[in-house]
Amino acid sequence: MKILEDFSNIFTRYDLNIEVARQEARKVSKDATLQTVADAVVVGETEECEAATKAALAAKSPMEVINDGLIPGMNEVSRLWDEGVYFLPQVILASDAMNAGIALCEEKMGKAMDKKGKVVTHTAEGDIHDIGQVIVNALLNANGFEVVNLGADVPVDKVVEACRVNNPVMVTGTALMTTTMTAFPKIAAQLKRLGLNIPFVCGGGAVSEEYVTSFELGIWGKEANQAPGMAEDALAGDNWNDMRSKWNG
Amino acid sequence: MTGKERVMKVFNHQKPDHMPCFSVNGTPTYEQMEKVGAYWPEAHERAEDMAKLAMAAFTVLGFDAVRVPFCQTFEAEALGCKVKSGGKENIPGIDHPPAYKLEDEPVFPDDFLQRGRIPQLIEAVRILKREVGDQVAVIGGIIGPFTIAGAMLDAVPILKASFKEPDKLLPFLDVAEKAGTALGKALIDAGADLICVEDMQASPDLIAPRTYRDLELEYQRRQVQALDVPVILHICGNVDKIVEYMTATGAEALSLEPKSDVDAARRNAAATTIIIGGVDAATTLFMKTPEVVKEAAREQIEMGLDVLAPGCAIAPGTPTDNLLAMVEVSQEYTS
Repeated sequence: MKILEDFSNIFTRYDLNIEVARQEARKVSKDATLQTVADAVVVGETEECEAATKAALAAKSPMEVINDGLIPGMNEVSRLWDEGVYFLPQVILASDAMNAGIALCEEKMGKAMDKKGKVVTHTAEGDIHDIGQVIVNALLNANGFEVVNLGADVPVDKVVEACRVNNPVMVTGTALMTTTMTAFPKIAAQLKRLGLNIPFVCGGGAVSEEYVTSFELGIWGKEANQAPGMAEDALAGDNWNDMRSKWNG
Repeated sequence: MTGKERVMKVFNHQKPDHMPCFSVNGTPTYEQMEKVGAYWPEAHERAEDMAKLAMAAFTVLGFDAVRVPFCQTFEAEALGCKVKSGGKENIPGIDHPPAYKLEDEPVFPDDFLQRGRIPQLIEAVRILKREVGDQVAVIGGIIGPFTIAGAMLDAVPILKASFKEPDKLLPFLDVAEKAGTALGKALIDAGADLICVEDMQASPDLIAPRTYRDLELEYQRRQVQALDVPVILHICGNVDKIVEYMTATGAEALSLEPKSDVDAARRNAAATTIIIGGVDAATTLFMKTPEVVKEAAREQIEMGLDVLAPGCAIAPGTPTDNLLAMVEVSQEYTS
């Protein structure tokens, strides 16, 4: 007869085990103060993150705290999201915590942190839920891009105007509803007319690859976490055609 | 067999002549509007137009059920949220800024059923019952607690609160549940054969499955228990992780998008749970050809559907031919 030595799985409520147990952030820094900063981002605690950032700033430069604490923390959140451990609310809370930390660092620097390039983001006109865009913004921020966040329910003209004024490396559009994504080809056409050949990444619940690749400039964004990689490509000089063949099809 | 008999057979766990086909979500398209002469935005606002456009699902498409309303704003509007018109082309949405803050103490108004466009919706169900009620099932649509609460507080604040201060959401969920239930009861009184609860914001795409279990499930259960016709629970996105909880609400039917695994839902839901699902509303019905629609519909049916349907609200630009193709496939599955 087999004698059980471990009783832990008897009477375990498997139905309660629907999410992978809350995971710790992987170690992102050998430095304990910076790790504390990253941990605060991972758990999405804004006040904790501000306190940790202040503590870290006593010994580290603001850019160190951003690059070796806050951003690696957000990247951990991105990983946990990819792996299905984290859900949307946690990503939003983490992004708030990171932004609060970055604000303190920028305050100490006396200027905004140097950004790689600008990305204009928006949610289509008629679509009031900017939840997909919230993640895109957070991940682009975490990867050092300056996000020109136009928010939700943005008219075509406003998106085009923001592109003209800001000259971003990339522009993104999110749509959750099939009724609203029809704004995307209109935006692309106006950008083309103005000679602004900016890669236009479109994604969201209702948006299909076939639709987005049916108009010029359009690149289909399958998942929010592709945004930083796409922005890097755009920054490196890839045009919309290069990006489409790399990310779509 | 009439469409109504076909639908009610399924809900009574008997065999219909063939699989029913209808939408538990919004049915209008621009082509249907032209054919029956009822248009947005009037069909969101006036009972006659609403009923006329809803009937197109039967007269133009041949669906086995008709359904009102076509948007998700009725309860929220009656609770004080500002509605933004979608004009001729879109459905109305809730405007910014949100009507409530997390610190507010929401109250369920006594005159709820007299507020906003609710009297028009109730009247639309009466008209549908009178005009086509013996030929097709009449579905009354209400909105689930978490989604109404989301309209009251706005998406991002409610998502944050679901993790940070879930207790603060309880008064909102309570009022939201009362709102949907009161509307559901009124629609049943007006003649609705079935109630569909749309709860988009309770999807694992937005909230964590544990939030659904700990926060939303109890309110949905209350709602389902309070309604004395069969209830269809529709949650968008991939709901694989919450199918068991959706079943625990007591809803007779679950409506799934093709993003969810029908096969797994069949196994994880109760043996008696009716599974409604089918063709992706955006990527297939709206974008593709009748042939592709048919293939997609057959593939989903083989996985264990009881009712063939669009996965979610029909996109208004959807070609009629694609919808007719879907109906055609349902007729292949005879019993």
